[in-house]
Amino acid sequence: MMTETYSPGQPIWCAGCGHFGVQGALSYALKALNIPSHKTIILAGIGCSGTIQNNLGTYGYHAMHGRVLPTAIGTALANPDLTVVAAGGDGDGYAIGAGHFVHTLKRNPSLVYIVMNNGIYGLTKGQDSPTKQGPEWAPEEEALDAIALGLSIQSSTFLARGFTGAPEQLDQLIIKALEHAHSGRGFAFIEVMSPCVTYNDTYPNWDAMVYDVANIAGYDAGDRAAAFAACLRLKEKNHIPTGIIYQGEHPTFESALLKNSTRPLARVDADTSGYRRQMDDILSACRV
Amino acid sequence: MNMQEGIMPVEAGAMVRDDLSVMVAGQGGDGSVTVIAFLARALSQRGLYLFRANNIVSRIKGGHAASALRGSAMRRGCIGDRIDILVAFDEEAIEKEGALLADDGVVIYDVSREPIPENFLPAGVRVIEVPFGRLSVRDLRRDLFKNCFAFGVLSRILGLSDEEALGCLKHRFRRLSAELLQPNISALEHGFSFADDLGFKIGHGLFSLPQLEKEDRIMISGNEATAFGFLAAGGRFFAGYPITPATDIMDWLKKNFPRVGGLAMQAEDELAAINLAIGASLAGARAMTASSGPGVALMQESVGHCGSAEIPLVIVDCQRAGPSTGMPTKTGQGDIGMLTQGSNGDFPRIVLSPGSAEECFEYGVLATNLSQVAQCPVYIALDDMCQFTYTVPVFDLDSVSIDKGKRPGAAEIAALEEYRRYALTEDGISPRAIPGQPGGMNLVTGNERNEWGQVSADPENRIRMVDKRARKIESIRHRLPKALEWGDKNAEIGIICTGMIGDVLAEACELLAEQGLKLKCHRLRTLWPVLDGSVAFARSCKRVYVVEFNSGAQMARLLKGAGAPADNMKSILQYDGVPMRTVQLIEAILEMEQQ
Repeated sequence: MMTETYSPGQPIWCAGCGHFGVQGALSYALKALNIPSHKTIILAGIGCSGTIQNNLGTYGYHAMHGRVLPTAIGTALANPDLTVVAAGGDGDGYAIGAGHFVHTLKRNPSLVYIVMNNGIYGLTKGQDSPTKQGPEWAPEEEALDAIALGLSIQSSTFLARGFTGAPEQLDQLIIKALEHAHSGRGFAFIEVMSPCVTYNDTYPNWDAMVYDVANIAGYDAGDRAAAFAACLRLKEKNHIPTGIIYQGEHPTFESALLKNSTRPLARVDADTSGYRRQMDDILSACRV
Repeated sequence: MNMQEGIMPVEAGAMVRDDLSVMVAGQGGDGSVTVIAFLARALSQRGLYLFRANNIVSRIKGGHAASALRGSAMRRGCIGDRIDILVAFDEEAIEKEGALLADDGVVIYDVSREPIPENFLPAGVRVIEVPFGRLSVRDLRRDLFKNCFAFGVLSRILGLSDEEALGCLKHRFRRLSAELLQPNISALEHGFSFADDLGFKIGHGLFSLPQLEKEDRIMISGNEATAFGFLAAGGRFFAGYPITPATDIMDWLKKNFPRVGGLAMQAEDELAAINLAIGASLAGARAMTASSGPGVALMQESVGHCGSAEIPLVIVDCQRAGPSTGMPTKTGQGDIGMLTQGSNGDFPRIVLSPGSAEECFEYGVLATNLSQVAQCPVYIALDDMCQFTYTVPVFDLDSVSIDKGKRPGAAEIAALEEYRRYALTEDGISPRAIPGQPGGMNLVTGNERNEWGQVSADPENRIRMVDKRARKIESIRHRLPKALEWGDKNAEIGIICTGMIGDVLAEACELLAEQGLKLKCHRLRTLWPVLDGSVAFARSCKRVYVVEFNSGAQMARLLKGAGAPADNMKSILQYDGVPMRTVQLIEAILEMEQQ
């Protein structure tokens, strides 16, 4: 008989919230890839989206506001056998956590990061977020384009955008992202356009704006410069590019940092007996 | 301590010393550190204990650097009240450090550029002028050889044999090829022959040092010893962000972790550093971060989060003079309030405060173990000790034991009907399953939560959970290091201190006892929770002086808050950033007594 643990929670989101679609797609993808619950950890930030980790029966962690990425990197480095999924909102990831996002792209650690972008701070009732689109909403600031930012960092290896109004595409994107991270290719970033029906109902707008790059003849997701150009062109036409925007190769963070670790850091546990000779050497180097 | 045979006869008139302080000062790059390293080897070979402090005088020009070394038969953890020998590579060294010289001290001055400035030295000081820089350039073609040159003269003045001096140089440069070593040896020999000309022939020095029995010792800084303790206790993940004076810990771990399969990394800021460590800890690795005041201030939210979410973490605070950026290279104990009270809400935490290199090692181990056992943040509060270097007996690795705390294995989890991450237990400690363990799936959160980790704002649950977390500290209280007490048990005057003040107080206590003033001393080694013994100590004295290196009497306030009698406690406070000297402490105590 299996040991019982917590009962997966019921989502707390408003009826019609895009996040239901994200949860559904993540749940589907984990099952489709047969990734066991006990080998999966979902780390989530603070915000409406930061409750997704409660609902899937995996290991779950609720990070501090904006800090989900460094935490997820620490977890992934400590135990590369885990499937590490970081999730959060656009405020969590692009405002208070923006610095960490940039550095995670620089590092390329093998983990998945799903940003549920609704252009709003929903949990605090509707303040502008860094992705709020102007000019009628937040004319004083340009909306942040995380995919364009990701393309500008040469070590990014997986950049995708989905839309909760296109669930089949989203299922596939999350599967591809999980496969990318799971196979040790690096950081798989997916921004999901996930409307907040209460404070910023963008379903009709976004439905008209999304454009799957797969529909561009000859689109090559391995060509960073072409991807950048294509995204800019689509934006000029008021489109939101979706699909796998870029996928490439770059050495992963763990391949550089863990080359001396023969077993996961988390498994050293209490057994340090095998390191006595090395510790004696360190001690000897301190002799005067 | 046995005097060994074979040491040179004492020159008539030479000052016999088993406690000697030497300072080498000049511009950065003058080789002060190298001269001190040669000397450290020499004094250590004579069986003396060493204490080294760098940059102990405030930095006026960008490059002024001073390094001081004390060699003593007794173990000392502070620079003595007088410098016996000052090797000064420039006039600024005389201007800045001259006043520290003993009345019978010796200055070896590099007269290459400027004549020695007047009116900076005590009257009886003997000045020996040698144009190290000029002669090194003239005879050896490179200014940088002046450090070996200076050591040649210094070693003769100290009454060392030329073989001893050469041995120190060869030891320091043991990785250099013969070709690169040779000019350094030539420079040393230049020093010998210059000393000959000055009349300091072999065996005719101004000082004479004993040859004591040599123990097996290591030389290590507080930062290094703390990092070593963490490593020895199974610590395998470190993330930090560069900050003076904590960066040494990251550097030391980056160098040594690869040998044991550990990982030390530099983060983009302190917020990332502590959360990287939290992420690793969450996965089951023993994790630590280190910073100094400003960085630890940034980490406060995350420390509280560890306290709430019950995540083991070690945080080292190498305190420096605050507030804000303060004086980055100068010391202080001004974070006591932040470490013991910082962050929002109430949560269990432990603050350890070592006072020697051995305690840094020991508490590095203890903090790592306690963090696992109590599943909470454990601070190690360091002060200038983090930068001080000491010789100490070799650490006993056999004494290191590793405590996993409540970490159920696969079979234990499988035997349970139900696993609850935050199960209510008598000792407040809930068994912790980590990601990867079948059946242990759980939710870890900084929200208030029920036993299953599900967010809950239920008032009754809230009280149960707050109380559960508080019980953890009571369960491990007996393992917290009690204060170290010494001095005269029957003394009316008690002195309370922590950290680096302890060694200053030890010496002051001895000297005051010689003058007939009896003291009993109490050095706190756990700052939080405040242990009953400290309150009892304060109550047992007629008068208590609490000595600390901050302007707000932060530790005295802690003690008063824990019930120590406020009316017989007075504070002795220093906050100039310069390590306390014994003479200053003695004066402060005597002044208090006269009031």
